[in-house]
Amino acid sequence: MVRGALFKKSLRDMQKAKVQFISIFVMAALAVSIITGLDSVWYTVRRTTDAMYAASNLSDLWVTVSNPSEQDLWGIRRLTGVTRVEKRFSAEADTALPGKPTLHVYALDDRSTLDQPEMREGRFGRYGGGAVLDSSFAEAHGLKVGDSISFKLNGVWMRMPIDGLALDSEQVYAVKNAATITPNSKEYGFAVIHAGALESVYGRSVYNQISVKAAPDTDLDQVVREADAVIGKRLIGITLQKDSASVSSVNGRIQQFKSLSVVFPLLFFIVSALITQSTMVRIVESQRGQIGILKALGYSKRSIIWHYTSYGVITGVLGSVAGLIIGPNLFGRVLVPQLRLSLSSYSIHVNYPNFLLAFLLILLCTGGVSFYACRKLLADTPAVLLRDKPMKEGTHVFAESTTLWQRMTFSNKLMVRNTMKNKGRFIMGVIGVMGCVGVIIAALTLRSTIAGLNEQMYGSTFTYDQKVLVDPQKTDSHYLGNLGLDAVTQQVQESAVEVICPSGGQKMEPITITTKDSPLIHMQSVDGTPVSLPDTGIAMSRKLCDTLGVKQGNSIWIKRTNKGYISVPIEEVSYMASGQGIYVTDGYWRSLGETFSPTALLIRWNGPPDERFLKSDMIMDSATRESQNSGLSESMQVVNFAVAAMIIMGASLAFVVLYNISILNFTERIRDLATLRVLGFHHREIRNLVLLENYFSAFLGTLAGIPIGKFISWLIASSLDERLDLTGSITLPAVLTAAVMTLGFAWAINTMVARKMKRIDMLEALKSVE
Amino acid sequence: MDFITFENVEREYHVGNNVIKAVDGVSFELEQGSFNVILGQSGAGKTTLLNLIGGMDSPTGGRISVNGQKISDMSEYELTEYRRTQIGFVFQFYNLVPNLTALENVQLAEEICADPLDAREILRRVGLEDRMDNFPSQLSGGEQQRVSIARALAKNPQIVLCDEPTGALDSETGRRVLRLIRDAASELGKTVIIVTHNAPIAEMAQTVLHMRDGKIAGTESHDHPKDVEEIVW
Repeated sequence: MVRGALFKKSLRDMQKAKVQFISIFVMAALAVSIITGLDSVWYTVRRTTDAMYAASNLSDLWVTVSNPSEQDLWGIRRLTGVTRVEKRFSAEADTALPGKPTLHVYALDDRSTLDQPEMREGRFGRYGGGAVLDSSFAEAHGLKVGDSISFKLNGVWMRMPIDGLALDSEQVYAVKNAATITPNSKEYGFAVIHAGALESVYGRSVYNQISVKAAPDTDLDQVVREADAVIGKRLIGITLQKDSASVSSVNGRIQQFKSLSVVFPLLFFIVSALITQSTMVRIVESQRGQIGILKALGYSKRSIIWHYTSYGVITGVLGSVAGLIIGPNLFGRVLVPQLRLSLSSYSIHVNYPNFLLAFLLILLCTGGVSFYACRKLLADTPAVLLRDKPMKEGTHVFAESTTLWQRMTFSNKLMVRNTMKNKGRFIMGVIGVMGCVGVIIAALTLRSTIAGLNEQMYGSTFTYDQKVLVDPQKTDSHYLGNLGLDAVTQQVQESAVEVICPSGGQKMEPITITTKDSPLIHMQSVDGTPVSLPDTGIAMSRKLCDTLGVKQGNSIWIKRTNKGYISVPIEEVSYMASGQGIYVTDGYWRSLGETFSPTALLIRWNGPPDERFLKSDMIMDSATRESQNSGLSESMQVVNFAVAAMIIMGASLAFVVLYNISILNFTERIRDLATLRVLGFHHREIRNLVLLENYFSAFLGTLAGIPIGKFISWLIASSLDERLDLTGSITLPAVLTAAVMTLGFAWAINTMVARKMKRIDMLEALKSVE
Repeated sequence: MDFITFENVEREYHVGNNVIKAVDGVSFELEQGSFNVILGQSGAGKTTLLNLIGGMDSPTGGRISVNGQKISDMSEYELTEYRRTQIGFVFQFYNLVPNLTALENVQLAEEICADPLDAREILRRVGLEDRMDNFPSQLSGGEQQRVSIARALAKNPQIVLCDEPTGALDSETGRRVLRLIRDAASELGKTVIIVTHNAPIAEMAQTVLHMRDGKIAGTESHDHPKDVEEIVW
């Protein structure tokens, strides 16, 4: 029956101190749910995409070459590590659907096994003449299996029955090109067809890509270099799986949430651990006399220790389990869909190793601490324990040696000594506020950074009204130069080029060729001075320089059409918030032996837009600057969402921390305060003794929060999207707003505590020494 | 005119459904500058009586006036003001602020009083000139009680109220504390009221109020109160 009685005591104790236990439970649940929640986002994406890549047999790299020959295939097949090579055709096609959406068409060989679509409905019929369509695209356009789809390849319209709907590993993050940032199924999708179907367009089977699958642990960079040598001059480019548009975007998202799930949980964890720990110690210490009674009654040390340890263990386990349930379901279920990935049906995955780590830390902060506190008390004899707790010692503090001390009022002296004596509590407050301020600053910075990004891209760098994509086969530079439009125009060729860096790395990178006199694109250096395109070299965006590991003055090798590589110097580095790549003039491009065939025309109308021109045959697509601008903002939604959630949690954290420490500060000193009241101090005179400390820790926490905010901003900005070059530098208004908000919290809490203080019962507090 | 007047004062407490009359229809008068003892067993209501005099508690019936002020009708704010200017408290368990040194505990009075006495002077008077910069935890019980007395006197109050001031002290130390209270009070012309269950202490008082079950069971006056040295307990 011994155990039964103690167990009843546990339950009643917990009920009696329910506020403390609930707060420990909440802190544990909060910390664990943030860790497991944020982890579950990237973990789910990684698990799901890995499974998709494996199921679709996604290639490790693609070699783009016009009309690959059997020798090309054979040459690559015999490279070390390569297990399979296949030819395919990959190109973008216009459709006749409303809004003129683009379809990325993949034409596969009948015997192909690589890069297979993942069927959701219908089937990818062998030897058939039908197409498998992007399931989200089909949904956005109301198409079903059995309907037909028309698209234009090489100037010829093709009409095909839809045999099935599918997902594609290369289109998980389905964006048309570097200019579009958010997937939009209304505007872009993919179709997979049989290569044989292209005969009706081209008169024969055409291919432009070799899909290469290699054995695990193959040195892919080596394969790239050797494949380059095999193909020689006809090579257009080689893309590794990790550099391909969708895969790299997905990895970017994973990386983004990985960074978030380190920084935020760390902040929350430190504070939760501090609160849990200090509360637990106090709960056990308040039972001092009871421990003495139990000991005097003859309970064994072990059963007493377990009795008190179980307080912490039970709360810690319950909190962790609640966190495990809440976190992935809240963060995972809300944030994964926000990423706008076309994933096969997935369930939220929990990263159990990290959960276990969090769980153990929580147990250490609850059970471990109660064990330790109880053991420390048990060292005393029952007689000592049953006596009053010895008086807390006052100590002189360092500040007393300064002259300032002499001039301080008693209230301030008391506050300083009290703060110094309870450093743990004070530090807890500072850290809690620091986290809160840091998160708020980061969120505000991110918002202003994105606004600034739009401003930089579509306010000062690009000054066109409209960007029209033209069909290079129907027009050329000379023709575009003599359109006679009532507008300022600039011709642009947007393409990709195979690049070899000084370090030996080889990659395909975007290149923009435009006229030397650039009326609608105004490039700037990092410090804001205008940059004009060089005549004897290339300009490169800063972020790309960082990615490739090159700097101004270096030279890189670039691949020319049907010719070998040529070394070009990087003469300018420009800051481009979005649109990373290489920029060259048409003159320099021609001097390399290339032709300038514009793919787009930038236009700033002097009058109303020329509708007749916009409807002409050579125009493939057009976008206004406003629509590009808003597309950019939209892609930040997911981050805004995550950060908003973080602000709420950060604020509630600061709230809990500040409330907790002021209540502790108040209850632990209730005797002192009552004494002062008896001496004749008025309520408002002693109020500040407790509350000033809160303002003080809020102030220091705000100061400490600035670098934290700076760090979080930088972290988010740099991991947001590899196509964006964001600095995440914090601004004064962001800091001030965060500071004002935090001081507001401190004020609100102080008002609550002050109300509590007003109700001090002097007689009750002074009746007996506890 | 009498300095402290109680007229049919009652103080009820509600504990659950029961009503406890801690002070039940008490009337008495005490003179200014007198040395008084309220004597009774624990639970007799004597501490409640002291709290009523000190403005730490308000009566549920009757009238209390002190120095011409009717404190039974005072607001919370007025009571604080009354405690601040008129009352000095000495507790059984000293109730010093642990974070302030002995000197600073006494100087607290300077913060709130219009006409405080010099803190160092008072501490010297109670024999603690060497311990001024010590924190309460570094002082013995007797020393702490002396700081507490110094703090009460430094406010330069009209009335010094002592609740079992020797309760936590050995008899020798207790005797010294009592002498200190009486000497200081008579020197400064303060009215002193000591609450105790310790009957021999009553012999040093000019007026003794015996309390039992919330009522005054009897009043004694000593024209020639005993000296502290003559008391044995």
